Amino acid sequence: MHRETQISNYILAAFSALALIMLSLPLSAPVRACKAGLLYLFEPAAFSGAQGLQRLADAPAGLSRLLTADLENVRLRAQLRQDLWRLSEMDALRAQNQRFARALGLRAPRGYAPLWGEVLERDPLHRYSSIIVGLGAAQGVALNAPVFGEEEGALVAIGRVTEVRQESCLVLLLTDESSSAAVYLSSAAVEGLAQGGKGGGPRLSVNYLAPEAALVKGDLVFTSPTSATFPGHVLIGSVAAIQPRDPAWNTQSVAVQPAVDAASLSQVMILRPGQEAGPQSPVRAEALRLVPPRRAAALPPEVRPSTAPAAALLPEVRLSTAPAAAGQAVP
Amino acid sequence: MRALRAVFLFAAAAVAQWWWSSHLALWGLAPQLLLVLTVAVAARSGSNPGMAYGFLWGLFLDLLRAQLFGGNAFTLMLAGYAAGTVRRQIDLSDFVSLCAVVFLATWGYFLCYGLLGAVFAKSFLWPGWPAFLCDPLYNCLLVPLAARIAAGPRGGRP
Repeated sequence: MHRETQISNYILAAFSALALIMLSLPLSAPVRACKAGLLYLFEPAAFSGAQGLQRLADAPAGLSRLLTADLENVRLRAQLRQDLWRLSEMDALRAQNQRFARALGLRAPRGYAPLWGEVLERDPLHRYSSIIVGLGAAQGVALNAPVFGEEEGALVAIGRVTEVRQESCLVLLLTDESSSAAVYLSSAAVEGLAQGGKGGGPRLSVNYLAPEAALVKGDLVFTSPTSATFPGHVLIGSVAAIQPRDPAWNTQSVAVQPAVDAASLSQVMILRPGQEAGPQSPVRAEALRLVPPRRAAALPPEVRPSTAPAAALLPEVRLSTAPAAAGQAVP
Repeated sequence: MRALRAVFLFAAAAVAQWWWSSHLALWGLAPQLLLVLTVAVAARSGSNPGMAYGFLWGLFLDLLRAQLFGGNAFTLMLAGYAAGTVRRQIDLSDFVSLCAVVFLATWGYFLCYGLLGAVFAKSFLWPGWPAFLCDPLYNCLLVPLAARIAAGPRGGRP
């Protein structure tokens, strides 16, 4: 009996020590992890079921959040549409503001009032032939009025009005083959006749240049003061190529790249004759303001008259002798 | 053969405890079959088998609960030792005296487990008043069955 009690005490001490060791060690978390692993291994349905039950228990809150998020999503989408609309409107207004700011820096010749209008329509088959502008007789647009585009803060001559309607007008571009204007080249200071290129291309050509003139590629081409349609010294473009001399004609000609692509303009300026307007108006000094300073400095002090045959300049000369506001059609 | 029977008793009792507490718990209360069996085995066969069974069944309960690992093993082992010691002074072959020991051992189990929690888990693991008051009675209902199991098929040691 005594021996059995002693053994019992030993067993009690051993088991107690073992149990206390287990109690002292942080075994609960590993045991829990092992249980979860075994449970998932042998009975994954229960594990998934518990997760599913938990998800179902969270469903009302999740559904509420989902509905709230959906409502917020709808509201934010509407707000985003409005913001995009405002953004595009702001971009358009900014571009318009820039155009107006540049337009304010431009001055029309004395006796002329500038009219800025939108390009309404282009002929898709003849993009470099004509455009329709949203200014008409109601705004005071007259036949043969010069039309300008804007490029880097300077006016660029692009054509003239050939048909006036009540609220719109048809502008014949300089690049149309039936257009012509007296021009001069900046470095050679010789006059010629700018005519539209054949085939309706984006370029035009300056013909009837003096045979002895030294032509340079890149020369700027300006309207001549002798032009009846345009005020003088307004930029048209630059010499893109010098044409081979035609032995049949004792003149030279060059191809000109317009300073502004008339086919991509969205706004143009039309000069409207004012009360002081007249054929003898001193337009040269005012017209110089249309040219940026660096270009104005490049202008020659005097424009040498061309020695080209007078017959070649006849259509333009004939125009120059006619009053601009007479309403005659230009050939 | 005795070893096989011991293993069978251990496994069957463990499964029965798990199944009962999982599926037959009334208002969250289930009898502590393993505690009653530990006391019954100790009362029938002495402290050493009681402590061995108690320790292993306690480990099983610790695995099931995993709240205070080692706590059930220590407590059930103490219950087996106490029952084995008491049987030298009291005749535990009588159901009434065995019921009394089981009743007291249940409370002792709760208190001992709670104190272990206070020492090792920094909080007294109180089972709640319903379990503290009802479980001893619930356990006493199992005493005849546990005594019959502890007696073995022919009334010998398990």
